[in-house]
Amino acid sequence: MTQHIQHLYEVLSKVDGYVYPNEIELNWSILIVLYPYITGLVAGAFILASLERIFKLHVLRPTYGIALLTALSFMLVATMPLVSHLGKPQRAYEIMVTPHLSSAMAIFGFVYLWYLMVVLLLEIWFDYRRDMIIWAGETTGLKRFLYRAFSLWSTDISPKAVALDNKLGYIVTIIGVPSAFLLHGYVGFIFGSIKANPWWSTVLMPVIFLFSAIVSGIALVMLVYIVITSIRKLKIDMPCVDTIASYLFYILLIDFVLEGLDQIHRIYIAEESFDVLHNLVFGRLFFTLFIMQGLIGTVIPLLTLGTLQFYKPKIQIRKAIYTVIAALILIGIFFMRWNVVIGGQLFSKSFYGYTSFKIGLIGTEGYLMAAFWLIVPFIILSFLLWLFPPWKKKEDDHEIQVG
Amino acid sequence: MPQHIKRLIGAFAVVIILFLVLQSFLRPTSFGKLGHYRADAIQENKMKALHFAGSDKCTKCHEEMKTDKEVGFHAQLQCEACHGPGLKHAMYADKFKDGELPDSLLLHKPGSRKECAVCHQLNAARVKIVFDTINNSMIKQIDPMKHNLVDKRNFAKLVCIECHNPHQP
Ligand code: HEC
Ligand code: HEC
Ligand code: HEC
Ligand code: HEC
Repeated sequence: MTQHIQHLYEVLSKVDGYVYPNEIELNWSILIVLYPYITGLVAGAFILASLERIFKLHVLRPTYGIALLTALSFMLVATMPLVSHLGKPQRAYEIMVTPHLSSAMAIFGFVYLWYLMVVLLLEIWFDYRRDMIIWAGETTGLKRFLYRAFSLWSTDISPKAVALDNKLGYIVTIIGVPSAFLLHGYVGFIFGSIKANPWWSTVLMPVIFLFSAIVSGIALVMLVYIVITSIRKLKIDMPCVDTIASYLFYILLIDFVLEGLDQIHRIYIAEESFDVLHNLVFGRLFFTLFIMQGLIGTVIPLLTLGTLQFYKPKIQIRKAIYTVIAALILIGIFFMRWNVVIGGQLFSKSFYGYTSFKIGLIGTEGYLMAAFWLIVPFIILSFLLWLFPPWKKKEDDHEIQVG
Repeated sequence: MPQHIKRLIGAFAVVIILFLVLQSFLRPTSFGKLGHYRADAIQENKMKALHFAGSDKCTKCHEEMKTDKEVGFHAQLQCEACHGPGLKHAMYADKFKDGELPDSLLLHKPGSRKECAVCHQLNAARVKIVFDTINNSMIKQIDPMKHNLVDKRNFAKLVCIECHNPHQP
């Protein structure tokens, strides 16, 4: 029994002030940080792809396919951090076979399925069907079988059928944009609706989550595009990347202003939770909030991208800057999720004390597990890019036919 | 309707049917009997090992502690709040009549400064919390690094229980 007591004194040493017994140890760890991060990347990447398609921004053409496939590969992994966080692999599937509508958390299954099956897969299918049929004729073996199977053994590539594909794909995209907003707005809603937690409970939460999602998705696609073109030793399409960077700038600016508004609002109304949050922000969250999210993830990228709107250095330099900035933004948004998820659990709901968060390298909730779920999407992405290389598609702009 | 659209709808139908078939196999049998959860879960939780016995059990054997404690300031504390979970102890301790308990049945005896400080540590956040709503008293706080730290005569470091009886402080 002594080891129980020993453990008690150990965890109590993490506590400052007064906390309720169930607040000493954090229940939502790094895997729950990953979940909004990954879904955000999906929503953001998809929205970038839709910009090209709906608003007919042809400069973005080179990233269209990459953005869709990136969204898909992260979407396939989005639930995995949650499932592995549950820690019961032998009955984790039960959550999928017992859907219900009675809790906000359980709605995620429906939001996820809708987005994956009805939006992403359909859009990609309509976009690639003709190419899959053509590629099936040019390849052999497993690849040929995969193309056949994924195109559902259809063979019709008459202009009429392809035009129909484009039209339906366009409709799916239009449905897709609100769906992407829904997907990530929903994730923000989950946090924003927890009214017992003053750090989360704000109506702005879904909107903030959404804009930071778009920022992170765009940064990811930009990074993936730059990396892929340099791996393929091709010249980078600079107008395209410049355009993406300018969107990134504007949306990051909106995101920054929104989050600023949220904080100003908090400071001005100064509810009874204000002191505990104030100490939280300048104490345990200082590094992740001000340094990682604020300085590295927001201010530096904003200033750099802002400068690039007026002053354009040589292509090589710009390329390097974009790569670094995209990486910084991705880190910054990760810490934004961190600050929300972890930050919301560091202070006591009695407003009288704090606990602290320690995370190990190994273990089911450790850094390695988190790194694993961040690497898997890139493996899936490489596979998808190998199977469905967007650059090998027969170019004819679907928008023109849709009219 | 073009052939490939038919196939697409077919594919969706297959996925949905597949889900329904899988669901009927994978759904836990007791699911939904009592509500939207596994009814067996209740039984499973009942089977879980208990750890705490409760003060009433303890005082059946430790009569003197009861009489001590009842009149002191710690009257409201559960024995196991200090001694740790003791169900096993309460069940098997009387098998060892000579009082030589094996290690697995020994309980923690918290008398050090650190251990009493878990509740009595000076804690600004805690002042407002009234423990006893009848007498409106609070858990008194001391600074364990200052409060009677050393014996003035021989400069030895003192532990709390040298002056306070833990059962009747
Ligand atoms: C069935 C009778 C019985 C019950 C019930 C019982 N004890 Fe004991 N306890 C004993 C005996 C016998 C000893 C060993 C002789 C002694 O020290 O008195 C003992 C010893 C102890 C000791 C001293 C152990 C040591 O390391 O010296 C503590 C502390 C203790 N009991 C606490 C408790 C607590 C707390 C409970 C309630 C969870 C409890 N006991 C319930 C019989 C019992
Ligand atoms: C405030 C914390 C606290 C509470 C509450 C408490 N104890 Fe103790 N108990 C102690 C400490 C500290 C010791 C060690 C005393 C010592 O070593 O002189 C002790 C020692 C004992 C011993 C061993 C006595 C001995 O002379 O070795 C027994 C038996 C015991 N407690 C039983 C109980 C029972 C039964 C209860 C509940 C009615 C209880 N205690 C409640 C702190 C507590
Ligand atoms: C589980 C929490 C807890 C632990 C551990 C604990 N106490 Fe207490 N203590 C209390 C409570 C509760 C009171 C009574 C408050 C009241 O109702 O007045 C109290 C009261 C006291 C008092 C009387 C203070 C007064 O009002 O004058 C003393 C002295 C004391 N404890 C000493 C100790 C010592 C010594 C230890 C370590 C063996 C200890 N306590 C461990 C909770 C605890
Ligand atoms: C040298 C003996 C001695 C030691 C050792 C000692 N105390 Fe005391 N304690 C006293 C005396 C005497 C009083 C009552 C006078 C006073 O308030 O200082 C007291 C009072 C208290 C009170 C009530 C304070 C109040 O505001 O009324 C608490 C609580 C307390 N002690 C806890 C502890 C704890 C916990 C420890 C171990 C960290 C400890 N004591 C160590 C002698 C001691």
